[in-house]
Amino acid sequence: MAGALTLDASYYEALKRLTLELAGVNLGTNHAFLVETRLARLAREEGYVSLEAMIDELFKTGKTRLAVQIVSALTERDTHFFKDRTAFHNLRKHVLPDLHHKRGGGRIRLLSFGCASGQETYGMAMTVAKMGDELDGLKVDIVGVDYPSQALERARAGRYTHFDVQRGLPIQDLVDFFEPDGADWAVKQEIRDAVEFRDIHLLSKLDTLEDFHAVMFCGSLPHYSAPARVRVLRGLSGLVREHGYLILGEGENLAQMNYGFDRVLEGPGLYQKREVIIEPEIDPDAKVPTGRTTFDKSPSRKRKLAGSR
Amino acid sequence: MKTCLIVDDSRMIRRVAGRIVKDLGFETDDAENGQEALDKCRIELPDAVLVDWKMPVMDGFAFLKELRKLPNGDKPTVVFCTSERDINHIVDALSAGANEYIMKPFDSDIIESKFALAGLV
Repeated sequence: MAGALTLDASYYEALKRLTLELAGVNLGTNHAFLVETRLARLAREEGYVSLEAMIDELFKTGKTRLAVQIVSALTERDTHFFKDRTAFHNLRKHVLPDLHHKRGGGRIRLLSFGCASGQETYGMAMTVAKMGDELDGLKVDIVGVDYPSQALERARAGRYTHFDVQRGLPIQDLVDFFEPDGADWAVKQEIRDAVEFRDIHLLSKLDTLEDFHAVMFCGSLPHYSAPARVRVLRGLSGLVREHGYLILGEGENLAQMNYGFDRVLEGPGLYQKREVIIEPEIDPDAKVPTGRTTFDKSPSRKRKLAGSR
Repeated sequence: MKTCLIVDDSRMIRRVAGRIVKDLGFETDDAENGQEALDKCRIELPDAVLVDWKMPVMDGFAFLKELRKLPNGDKPTVVFCTSERDINHIVDALSAGANEYIMKPFDSDIIESKFALAGLV
């Protein structure tokens, strides 16, 4: 395959470095074909005469917007509806029933982190809708976040091709949650109303996001460099409320670090956020009651959420 | 090895779909219309049927209704593979007992995905 490629090796190496620095993602050595096809499309859409012209412009001018567009195109996941079946099983069988049981009613927030073109995010909304009475009284808001990109614009549009809706999506879900829109299929308004998309830098501090009762983060972890993996998981840990959930993809795990989570044994790739606990200081000379004190590490967040339940 | 009956009046579709389904590990047979498929099912029920809607002699919808009346006719997993994309057609197919539904044109990813959703692979 490499013989058919036209991009000079030095360009490819420069793009690999850029992607690692900006997104923390290792492109690997066998992604040259992907680089060419995805970036050639972007170059055409942005009006450059060639792929090389676009890359030259990037490295001469250092345009941030162009750099983000290029890195977004390179790191976009090839995804489809309900791609990670284990993660959706965990959401349906463990996470949503537990959150419903604990809260009874009120409002919860779910995050689809690295949502690409939105299939995962809409899949979460469809899962909630299908559970119906099982989640009686529970209102669920779902946020999908990713780098600003054409994929994210497709997510916002909620419009999918004939091929998109036939990969991973049960036909009954197509009937229930989509309507024909020309040659494409549009997500029905009731599902779109439960979903919001935001563009963020996934390796940023994430402090522009509120906290969530569960975060789904599937399929990206193995592509991150080790430092980026630590950074993104720390960031996510800060977003998940106590006793909330982190749902990773099938075969993914937190490795040796726990980031404040405990593994949920019934669900592979499922983690639950621990209580933040301060053990009382022990004064050997004083008699202190045994026990423990819990505190909320972010009181401002708690205040903000007080009216949401 | 699981068996799949491919029912379509187009020889090209039977050949292309047959190759994809064989790659998924099925032994395949084919039929040109619903009546021929029904005759084959009366002799031996396949595990799966991939069936077009519009065909001469007997269409896919009539075939499905007759298949479900056969002894153990509820056992085969039936996946429609048709150019009909009207929601009402899809609802009718599901009501008549179809397990999944493919809209043409298709590729190997779509057949594999739909077979997985139907519990065949």
